[in-house]
Amino acid sequence: MSNTSGNAYALTTLCPITNGAILDDEGNETEAHDKVVRRLLQDIPLNEGSFFTKVDNTYFARLFILNDVFFQQGNDFEQDHLKSKYLCFNSNFHGDLEPYLENMWHNCEAEVRNIWQHCVGFNRVNSAHEFVTYIKACQIKTTLFFNGSNDESLAKQLKALYVKQMFGEFVLTQQGKSASDTKQNFKYFLQRVQLNDLTSPSWKPGQGELKP
Amino acid sequence: MSKKLDLYDIQGNICKGYGRYGFPKARYLFLSFNDSKQSRQFLLALIEDITTAEVWPVRKESAIKPGSTTNIGFTYSGLEVLNIPQRSLKGFPVDFTMGMKARGDILGDTGSNSPEHWDRIWQDGNVHAWLSINGRNSEAVLERFGQIKDMLEQFPGIELLSGHRGPNGSILDYQDASAVFENGIPTGKEHFGFTDGIGNPYFDGSGHHISRLPGRGKLMRDGSWQPLATGEFILGHINEAREYPLAPEPKLLSRNGTYMVYRKLHENVDTFSAYIDNLAKDFDGSKDLLMAKMSGRWPDNGAPLTLAATDEEKTVLDARMADLTHRAEEGEKCAIAQLKELRGKWIDFSFDDDKSGAKCPIGAHIRRTNTRGSLEHEKGAFDRPGALVDRRRLMRRGLPYGGTDEAKSDSAEQGIIFMCISASIERQFEFVQQQWVNYSNDFKLGNDKDPLIGNHHGQLTDKHIIQAAEAKRGEATKAPFFCTDMPRFVETRGGDYFFIPSITALRMIAEDMIDPS
Repeated sequence: MSNTSGNAYALTTLCPITNGAILDDEGNETEAHDKVVRRLLQDIPLNEGSFFTKVDNTYFARLFILNDVFFQQGNDFEQDHLKSKYLCFNSNFHGDLEPYLENMWHNCEAEVRNIWQHCVGFNRVNSAHEFVTYIKACQIKTTLFFNGSNDESLAKQLKALYVKQMFGEFVLTQQGKSASDTKQNFKYFLQRVQLNDLTSPSWKPGQGELKP
Repeated sequence: MSKKLDLYDIQGNICKGYGRYGFPKARYLFLSFNDSKQSRQFLLALIEDITTAEVWPVRKESAIKPGSTTNIGFTYSGLEVLNIPQRSLKGFPVDFTMGMKARGDILGDTGSNSPEHWDRIWQDGNVHAWLSINGRNSEAVLERFGQIKDMLEQFPGIELLSGHRGPNGSILDYQDASAVFENGIPTGKEHFGFTDGIGNPYFDGSGHHISRLPGRGKLMRDGSWQPLATGEFILGHINEAREYPLAPEPKLLSRNGTYMVYRKLHENVDTFSAYIDNLAKDFDGSKDLLMAKMSGRWPDNGAPLTLAATDEEKTVLDARMADLTHRAEEGEKCAIAQLKELRGKWIDFSFDDDKSGAKCPIGAHIRRTNTRGSLEHEKGAFDRPGALVDRRRLMRRGLPYGGTDEAKSDSAEQGIIFMCISASIERQFEFVQQQWVNYSNDFKLGNDKDPLIGNHHGQLTDKHIIQAAEAKRGEATKAPFFCTDMPRFVETRGGDYFFIPSITALRMIAEDMIDPS
């Protein structure tokens, strides 16, 4: 089925970026909308610094500008010319679309407005409900999912990664130890990793590297 | 019916390796073109001497088989200086255009692999051309080198670049390479003691005998072998996706050419042997078995672990080999055939009956760099069992270097000049290096890296897992063995990406008549 795979949702949206330049207070043309958007996207911090860490259950999110479409590199390239440039927003997350987008609006309204204000019709978006409606209008169906996660909640997946990392290290340090020592050390291990506490200790949303 | 290639148009060492024809010595020169016109004049003078892929009799004397060979390739900046039109330059793929140094993040050239540790020649960024001489012996190499130096003297606008680390702390204006000799005979060994370079790919038109196909070509669903598409290795020919490889225009500039990765890989021999010695104390098996569990092949003769997975099985295999060899030498026909069949299994094998890695560990070097059919986790998932690897094959053409320093140590000069030929550096070499050598998601081994060439950091989790041998009936399940705290055994010391043009293209470049319009 398109867009969902179990509890995982794959969102792909193409929001048309307003053609032409931004007008200043006197009606003079300044910088083009797409140029500003490009700069804004480039300035979004990655990993733990990304505002998507504030949007619960985001597995993976990406924003980019779709210009004209090119196939292949080199001398043989083909090109499809589009009527406008599009802000492409991909997100893979756990759960349903509406609550996810509402959550995005509530936790990141400033960031969302800052970027999407350059898209056609976004000036009419002033609430979480209108944001959901807007994004759904720009949505295209997809069956492509981020391959790096399953469909469990993000907290559960992050905890699983944490436990896997810690267990790997535990195993490596127990080589050659007696069964009784290993048993005792495993008790300490369980106390340390707190299997039933999904929040702590665990990996943080956006974490991209193993950390001790 | 095998495809006919214009072997007189393709440079040598591409379709078939020089090593196989008895050229165990090499000297690699790197040139900087300071004068475009003179550089083209030099190429024009050199063309007559460029060795092609024409076929010589294997290991037999022949009037047409030279004492030494000469080949040439160019970096992107070299092609710029040679006055290749902008439009043609734009047709080259991004990987080649950027060059190896700029691809460091993909290749894992960080830490002690990073460019500040490379030989000086690779730090300055002026390498425009690679000129290689292979010889049947050192004298032949030196003779050819002398001739080329004489030629270069007539072209002051070309600089023979210096800055290669040489033996005993010297800095040289060439890089020598040589097979490792034992008792005066060249072997397939490298400086850690492994037998290397076994089982290069077989592609359509390479001219190899059909009997060499099993294990080297692509494995079909019915268990038979077919040659890989020519376009996986040579530009201007259809590849495994039934497309022409990405290449610049005009077609004549790229057809019958290819790309080569040149990479100087330093081997920390002390670190390696100390690590093995230390680990072997806890390992249930010989030191050779431990080494084999890292590479996937027995160090002494390169036999794959799929053929002998324990010390006991290796003893049996060695005895069988010795017996067959002896009887074959006596002229016993049956033994000759059996020996040939057995030797075939050095290359013609799969990991089908070793899913758990009990014989050849899943993370072993050869199981990473040539996955064969092992990534088809569910039978029938792909068109062919090896569909994922058929587009990631590397034609290795390198040789070991060094090993002649007075004192053996990590800091002495020894390693491998890794050279590999492919039609796409990004899809083939870079992918293997990034995803299979320095990462393990495809093998379900997390962040583990290639035990021999991975860019490890000596941390606890820099590990290689040796899966346990399967327990016999009635025996308790055995525990896997963990190699931990792995240091970096192999370090990058420089290199770049080169375009090796056809003879036709070389002449067009030399005559400044490339016209893409």
